[in-house]
Amino acid sequence: MRRSLSQAEWQDISTKIQDPALSLADRAALRLQLFLEHETIVKKPGERIPAYRTLVDFPDIYAPGEKERLQKGHYVHEQGRVCNISSDWEGVLKDGLMARYNLAPEASRRTIDAVLAYADRYEMPGLSSALRQGARGYLEALQAFRILHFSLWASNVYHNTVGRFDQYMYPYFKHDLDSGRFTEDEMLALTEEFFRSFNRDSDLYTGMQQGDNGQSLMLGGCDREGKNAVNELTYVCLTASLNNRLIDPKINLRVNKDTPMELYVRCTELTKQGLGFPQYSNDDVVIPGLVALGYSLENARNYTVAACWEFILPGVAMDIPNIGAVSLADSVHQVIMRDLPNCNTFECLQDKVRQELFSRADALEASLKPLWLEPAPFQTVLMSDPRQDISLGAKYNNYGIHGTGFATAVDQLSAVERYIYQEQLMPADDWLQALSTEFSGRSELKHTLRTQAPKLGRDTQSETIADRLMNDFADSWAGRRNERGGVFRPGTGSAMYYVWHGVKLGALSDGHMPGEPISANFSPSLLVTDVGPLSAISAMARPQLSRVINGGPLTLELHDTVFKNKEALTKVAMLVRSFILLGGHQLQLNAVSRETLLDAQVHPEAHRQLIVRVWGWSGHFIQLDKSYQEQIIQRTSYSI
Amino acid sequence: MSTTKGLVFDIEEFAVFDGPGIRSVVFLKGCPLRCAWCHNPEGLEHRIQLVKTLSLCAGCGLCDAAFRSSADCTNCGHYVSACPTGALRIAGTWMSAQEVAVRIQRHETLLRLNHGGITFSGGEPLMQADFVLAVRALLPCLHAAIETSGYAPSPLFQKVVAAMDLVIMDIKIVDPLLHVKYTGVQNDVILKNLTLLKSMNKPMRIRVPLIPTVNDTPENMTALAALLKDAKNLEKVELMRYNQAAGAKYAGLGMLYQVDFPEKQPPRLLTEIFKEVGILCDVL
Repeated sequence: MRRSLSQAEWQDISTKIQDPALSLADRAALRLQLFLEHETIVKKPGERIPAYRTLVDFPDIYAPGEKERLQKGHYVHEQGRVCNISSDWEGVLKDGLMARYNLAPEASRRTIDAVLAYADRYEMPGLSSALRQGARGYLEALQAFRILHFSLWASNVYHNTVGRFDQYMYPYFKHDLDSGRFTEDEMLALTEEFFRSFNRDSDLYTGMQQGDNGQSLMLGGCDREGKNAVNELTYVCLTASLNNRLIDPKINLRVNKDTPMELYVRCTELTKQGLGFPQYSNDDVVIPGLVALGYSLENARNYTVAACWEFILPGVAMDIPNIGAVSLADSVHQVIMRDLPNCNTFECLQDKVRQELFSRADALEASLKPLWLEPAPFQTVLMSDPRQDISLGAKYNNYGIHGTGFATAVDQLSAVERYIYQEQLMPADDWLQALSTEFSGRSELKHTLRTQAPKLGRDTQSETIADRLMNDFADSWAGRRNERGGVFRPGTGSAMYYVWHGVKLGALSDGHMPGEPISANFSPSLLVTDVGPLSAISAMARPQLSRVINGGPLTLELHDTVFKNKEALTKVAMLVRSFILLGGHQLQLNAVSRETLLDAQVHPEAHRQLIVRVWGWSGHFIQLDKSYQEQIIQRTSYSI
Repeated sequence: MSTTKGLVFDIEEFAVFDGPGIRSVVFLKGCPLRCAWCHNPEGLEHRIQLVKTLSLCAGCGLCDAAFRSSADCTNCGHYVSACPTGALRIAGTWMSAQEVAVRIQRHETLLRLNHGGITFSGGEPLMQADFVLAVRALLPCLHAAIETSGYAPSPLFQKVVAAMDLVIMDIKIVDPLLHVKYTGVQNDVILKNLTLLKSMNKPMRIRVPLIPTVNDTPENMTALAALLKDAKNLEKVELMRYNQAAGAKYAGLGMLYQVDFPEKQPPRLLTEIFKEVGILCDVL
């Protein structure tokens, strides 16, 4: 049922939506209108959730060469379009699109007309009315969500997150359950069908790699008053995802010190499926961290996650949580190469690292302006305040900065502290010589550094160094303002930068060799093969995390045999809860066996269904580029 | 006592099949049995050994001398760091009781919070009984379990059991002749210690590795159930499925894995025999 536009259609549409007389916002609105008009209505018997994407591709709003001309001199984030934010699903589903019609800019109003016209073609009276005036029941709310979310993708906005589904859907869910319109089993079946619809078109929604589509869904957490907000729908969603065993939507769970074991156990059953989720976020750490960044307490309590793990706020934020990254591993390495002979104390070297982070922050900050963002008239409609185009900003306009190679940075410093400053194993020049020659003729030193030197996650002496590095990284961005008046949010995530930064690293003081991958996000180095889960969760639950709260989880690989029976599975749930109680911020758990991954490389045809967590999302293993596959295989070497 | 040294080949965090709760397991090197199906050959010899990851080995021969030696590999560090492909590692570290206790204590809060503790395993931990007792003495408040074949002099067995909170004992084969054939030792001392254990009012679990056609038989299970049915301190019997990857580690130690039973055949799960006499029975 998919089709490509004919050449004539393509030409005709291009001429219309690239009309130089139209503003970019008007062009974007017209593009969405024509897109939806050209979409085919597909109804399948028995299906209650509408909409299939039938158009494989559609023209852009720029005439040839125009985009490059317009963007010249700007900082273009990724595709230059609005992405990776969370819509005000709660408000739109409750009030309907017409409540926003008169508030919205002209271009946005036209997108409302276009979306309603498209929805009306399905001839579902409940859907049409829900979109206009707000939903009255669960089925209507799901149908309306589907059309809105589908239209967002069609509008060229991407990484369209799902937000706090069990919160904004709960009133409809409860209404239908209480009124007896649906039984509990029917509600589950309906939720499963709805979840499946996220997988209909997702192959067309590629990010950096297939599977990186941003369809993250948040469950649990607290309400605006801070009270526990887990409800029956939370559990229904977990069961639906468990039964579906599909890659989308990607399940996240907000937890806190009072979250009951029962919920962790249910989530662990989902982890057992090997889909790489749920991912856990700790309200006790995240909410105070967000408030410290300037978010209101009420807004902070409503946080969800972006495509991967960055903490974002529904409806009120045009944050760009992944706008740039600092290679912490390289920062430390450059300082060692430059300043090791000049520093008589380890503290002196740490001060130099701090200076390096500040100067890298200066350079990165300067490079991020002026920002280019294409108008997004339909996304605007879905914000809490639709009065100005969302691309121009919202209540919050903060930028997230990843810190990559955190463990590799800490391990380099730990090795230098021990062998140069404490044990005085060799003169600094010798050390630098060994690094410059990639440990040629120094295999014993290399071996010592790789296996004996202190490693974050395994050895406690690295932890004070980790704390100082986190503080220095946080300080290097504190007090800065971006051109939109927002703040910078440093974080422990890496996104795909662990690959980009990793390949540039040479021989390092922790024994890392050129070309070797580094760990993603906030995880122990891949060189450590003997770090136990208890050591890892203890070491990585640092009080300083609330200062680097952009997001970025500790990833633990557990061999799939630990999920063998209910008793063992419960112990995995206890491990997760322990990390939260210790004050960890974010955790992502994988159930995978190294043997399976190796076999999948040799026999991809036998492992089409194999799903793994990549850096912040789940993807099909065999569809990933080899470099991503290799990194995942290496990190499973320290699974128990 | 804290200076007593033990030969340890691994300390595993987050063990989930070795007693209640989340546990740390200390694996002690050396075992008097030679079970045909042993999946942990690193635990057999009471000496430091070199282990080769064959997939990484370039066959340069630099390390051959170390593999030929039957004594403690005293020069292992040299071979490991000299190996150009990083294919070598050492199995076995002499650690003081104090060192082991410190490693475990680091997570004492987590272990207790999660109703777990420490488990001594191996190899056969009773071969290093003094060391086990020394570590135990340094961790008096932690739940302690031991996984043992029960093959040890009875006074020693009794002394160590008395210091534990839980005993997890293997009874592999009840028939004496078959036991010798498949484990290399007589089982009279094991069965004697089982009788002793039953009389000690100490929580116990019995484990049986299920080896297809060897001991997954009605005869063996019925005989075992008969031995256990009057044990008031028995929590449960755990039947452990044969690990088909059992042979995986042998070549890396320069050893050969050869068995005369059908490895691929699924073992019989005769849990009913135990349930009939009122014994709880799980399959792992």
